[in-house]
Amino acid sequence: MAIRLSACSSSSATFIAPSSFCHETETILKRKNFGIWVCQNNSNFHENKRFELKASNVQPLKAVSLQAGAPANSLATERVVNPVQEHYIPFLETVKEESTLSIVVVGASGDLARRKIFPALFALFNEDRLPENFTIFGYARSIMTDEELRNMISKTLTCRVDKRENCNEKMDAFLKRCFYQSGQYSSEEHFLELNNKLKGKEAGRLSNRLFYLAIPPNMFVDVARCAKHRASSENGWTRVIVEKPFGRDTESSRELTRGLKQYLSEDQIFRIDHHLGEELVENLLVLRFSNLVFQPLWSRNYIRNVQLIFSEDFGTEGRGRYFDNYGIIRDIMQNHLLQILALFAMDTPVSLDAEDIRNEKVKVLRSVKPVQLEDVVIGQYKGDCDGNTSYPSYTDDMTVSNNSLTPTFAAATLFINNAQWDGVPFLMIAGKALHSKRTEIRVQFRHVPGNLYNHKSGTDLDNATNELVIRIQPDEAIYLKINNKVPGLGMRLDRSELNLLYKARYPREISDAYERLLIDAIEGERRLFIRSDELDAAWQVLTPLLKELEEKKVAPELYTYGSGGPVGVHYLAAQHNIRWGDFGYED
Amino acid sequence: MATLYSTHCRSYSPLTQSSSSSSYSSYCSSSSSSSKLGHVAVSSSAPKRFLAAKLSVLSQSQNVARMQDGAVATAVTPIENDYPFKKLKGGLLSVPSTDECKDAVGFDINENESTVSITVVGASGDLAKKKIFPALFALYYEGCLPKHFTVYGYARSKMTDAELRTMVSQTLTCRIDKRENCGEKMEQFLERCFYHSGQYDSQENFAELDKKLKEHEGGKVSNRLFYLSVPPNVFIDAVRCASLSASAGNGWTRVIVEKPFGRDSESSAALTKGLKQYLDEDQIFRIDHYLGKELVENLSVLRFSNLIFEPLWSRQYIRNVQFIFSEDFGTEGRGGYFDNYGIIRDIMQNHLLQILALFAMETPVTLDAEDIRNEKVKVLRSMRPLELENMVIGQYKSHTKGGVTYPAYTDDKTVPKDSLTPTFAAAALFIDNARWDGVPFLMKAGKALHNKKAEIRVQFRHVPGNLYNRNIGTDLDRATNELVIRVQPDEAIYLKINNKVPGLGMKLDRSNLNLHYAARYSKEIPDAYERLLLDAIEGERRLFIRSDELDAAWSLFTPVLKELEEKRIIPEYYPYGSRGPVGAHYLAARYKVRWGDVSVEQ
Repeated sequence: MAIRLSACSSSSATFIAPSSFCHETETILKRKNFGIWVCQNNSNFHENKRFELKASNVQPLKAVSLQAGAPANSLATERVVNPVQEHYIPFLETVKEESTLSIVVVGASGDLARRKIFPALFALFNEDRLPENFTIFGYARSIMTDEELRNMISKTLTCRVDKRENCNEKMDAFLKRCFYQSGQYSSEEHFLELNNKLKGKEAGRLSNRLFYLAIPPNMFVDVARCAKHRASSENGWTRVIVEKPFGRDTESSRELTRGLKQYLSEDQIFRIDHHLGEELVENLLVLRFSNLVFQPLWSRNYIRNVQLIFSEDFGTEGRGRYFDNYGIIRDIMQNHLLQILALFAMDTPVSLDAEDIRNEKVKVLRSVKPVQLEDVVIGQYKGDCDGNTSYPSYTDDMTVSNNSLTPTFAAATLFINNAQWDGVPFLMIAGKALHSKRTEIRVQFRHVPGNLYNHKSGTDLDNATNELVIRIQPDEAIYLKINNKVPGLGMRLDRSELNLLYKARYPREISDAYERLLIDAIEGERRLFIRSDELDAAWQVLTPLLKELEEKKVAPELYTYGSGGPVGVHYLAAQHNIRWGDFGYED
Repeated sequence: MATLYSTHCRSYSPLTQSSSSSSYSSYCSSSSSSSKLGHVAVSSSAPKRFLAAKLSVLSQSQNVARMQDGAVATAVTPIENDYPFKKLKGGLLSVPSTDECKDAVGFDINENESTVSITVVGASGDLAKKKIFPALFALYYEGCLPKHFTVYGYARSKMTDAELRTMVSQTLTCRIDKRENCGEKMEQFLERCFYHSGQYDSQENFAELDKKLKEHEGGKVSNRLFYLSVPPNVFIDAVRCASLSASAGNGWTRVIVEKPFGRDSESSAALTKGLKQYLDEDQIFRIDHYLGKELVENLSVLRFSNLIFEPLWSRQYIRNVQFIFSEDFGTEGRGGYFDNYGIIRDIMQNHLLQILALFAMETPVTLDAEDIRNEKVKVLRSMRPLELENMVIGQYKSHTKGGVTYPAYTDDKTVPKDSLTPTFAAAALFIDNARWDGVPFLMKAGKALHNKKAEIRVQFRHVPGNLYNRNIGTDLDRATNELVIRVQPDEAIYLKINNKVPGLGMKLDRSNLNLHYAARYSKEIPDAYERLLLDAIEGERRLFIRSDELDAAWSLFTPVLKELEEKRIIPEYYPYGSRGPVGAHYLAARYKVRWGDVSVEQ
């Protein structure tokens, strides 16, 4: 406690009052870890407090001091069991004046920043999810004034349909909080300038700083170094969000992690996989663990195969430079699909705590058999002429080398060698320039043993198995395909759906994945971010395959732009007696 | 083989004709004691012929079918033998295109040879007018009736054919999706309708009917279906007369009877015994029209053709099952019949118990009628007879709402003022077998309630060690999964699941995985009577109640019914249009159950 108090008072004189206040609440609430930091970090956005056991505002002070000081692994200290309840808010409101949040978007002039990050920040602001005192700084190499940044941003900001009122007003209020600082990504000096500006905005209050690295990965470590040395928060937390690619294989990924960890501790690194922020991915755990009806089904006893499908209906469209270096396996499979697989297949966690969930995910990922070359089909799209429109082939892209072998399509069967999933093929398919845009999880159940109605199902029994489909996009939906009788005097079976279409039930717009992830990072909720050991385990599944593909220069099977992908997929599926739910009999 | 096939297919082959006519002649010349034997022969051979004809039509060029025909031809012997019949029915079911009733083209091939005469005994009654004739017409419209059919109304009132037609025509309607030619079709149908007046206990009158029927049959193979739409006290008389004076000469004779099948075990057994004097078991078609409802039919499909329900269907995952039947009207001046029976006999002992049996039965060996009914009997016999303490009864009382006064049950002129007959009942039943031990099966049936509804609700257990309990709040019961099969109105199946409310927070919501029939199947769902009549014509017994089933059902309810009457238990009164007596909630609470139909979200 002594340490806490000293930390409390050391920050600034203004903290004396809150500190005593905190102390009071602590005794009142009989909470063990309720330190000064709790108060500082809180603000009105906690009204919409999540349910998780661990939330940012109950972090132990120890972690804070570590963050402010030398980076250290504070995994152990992360485990705090202090649910935040609504009734704390009145106390917390009183101190919200005292803490500030600065969000620095590094690489502000880039595409990701403009298209996703600023709009997401604005949406959070519009929903009153950001703390009272927040500042947004754009940081990039180009010379720009604050005004120019605001102009740039304002073009991409939109208001949700149901939040139209005062939209412009809100937008103006938001833009006034946005500033710009130009500088090199590797210059500590420039970051110092940024630090000074930030301090100016923070005006001596407790400062929390979030750096969003919307820049190429080769600069991650430089920025982490500069930010750490020159611009990290002195009395609050400093967190860094990084987005894929996290390396190209196990080694480069480890290298990157090591680089980041020189300057940042594990709990300061927020590795984003924006697909994990999508509504139905979030819902997957709720579906699995709060519904009894799915529980007995969730194993090799009843599940025949699981299909994870990600398809886009467009190609690289002139922006293939980055992609060509990575390919679809690294771009989609290694992160998005593998993450979804882990969430799908993991054991019940001890709690919904980020660390507990990530522990289970790591276990699954470590049980996944590394993918073999024969379990994979890769493809690359070729041009197509459809009436008057002609679609380019991948290698027509100016930014792609003409003899590129980079796969734009990949299908793989994965196996999890544990008691729950042994022998169940997990099929992953990911591709660009396919006939539809969709992300979904399809769970195909086994045949009914000794089915009395087999002779009604025709010859293709696969058609008659149950299937659970979780469609992540477009048109979020969950449906369960069941067999039922066609109404009428005869006895004809039909596969119909027990259906939950989100659009129909929840007319509200579903928030963008980035919003959720940003608010989570601000609140210190790590559940949807990828831990280093998770990342490592994920790479180990695919690295041998990636190396082999490159060494052997395996040529991708060409498929037509806008088609269902290379036919090799069907043969891959057939090896395991599966039919792709996606490109099969339906639609 | 070929000759056998063709002769058999086209008409009664010489072989079968001789065998059956000999049995017929023996029947004719013998005394009434041997008449039963003759009946057996006729009735068991006829459906075989029927089915065989269908099979052969569907696959004329296939040797397999001929083989089947051959098998049929040899099987047509005047011996009661269920087995080949069953096997054949299995065969029938397995022919893919027999699904829609269009397979009734099977009739076409012997269009010149066989006839079906449907005699509605009690033609002037309410049921006949409202249900039977319209159902027959719908079948006719859909092309499900054989080419040669005749409909005869039979009742005591004097009426001409034309008068019957006028009466019938008032209740006929065409389905919405079948408007074209409706008037024309109606005319054609009415031309096939005739009337014969007579007493229900007069063999003489039935002999007259027989003569008329014979005229219409014109010497062809005659199949006769009697629909006894008469009070149960004249069942046996009518059956005797029909059997002795008007049964089919060379085809089958079947009798459809509708509830009530007695008032208790004894009277039901007496009725069965009476019927069996004149009819064989497979001539008796006891209708429970609830079994003809689309979603009740679908129940077996759901259970046995979907893997996902299979592991869930036991005490391990199911917390309780609720069968709910409610009507939003009272007896409305027609309580005379009802008062003598009460809601338990009227709804629970038959409709709800039948649904329960279908719900809880083990997987049958095949989808054959006998196999299914065997399983149903097993469930019924595993059940604990209902005890008084597991029962709540109620009677509706008058209620004034918004200036409108709704009458009490005893305000009904046809009901005695001091009647204790329950118009509402709730009961907790238990099946003492390995699958269902300890799972409460709750039933609730009532008149004059706030809505009209029939549904099955399956409440699953709590998620053990639920990670999300804190998000659910204090009422964990609300968060369990629930499968609802709504039989009426608005047929639907839905599974209540917990999911996350979209948005940045983590709020759980119960939403439905939904299959709403009206949305998916635009076609009108056929009335239960249509299906049942067609099944009776085709000899499909799956949806009819066998004598031993009926017996098992009565033995569950008879003790408590007697006790209620002996002790003159006074029903709990509930206002007309309410949700029923609160006692139902306490009954449910005793077994830690909450009625699903009155929970918060409704």
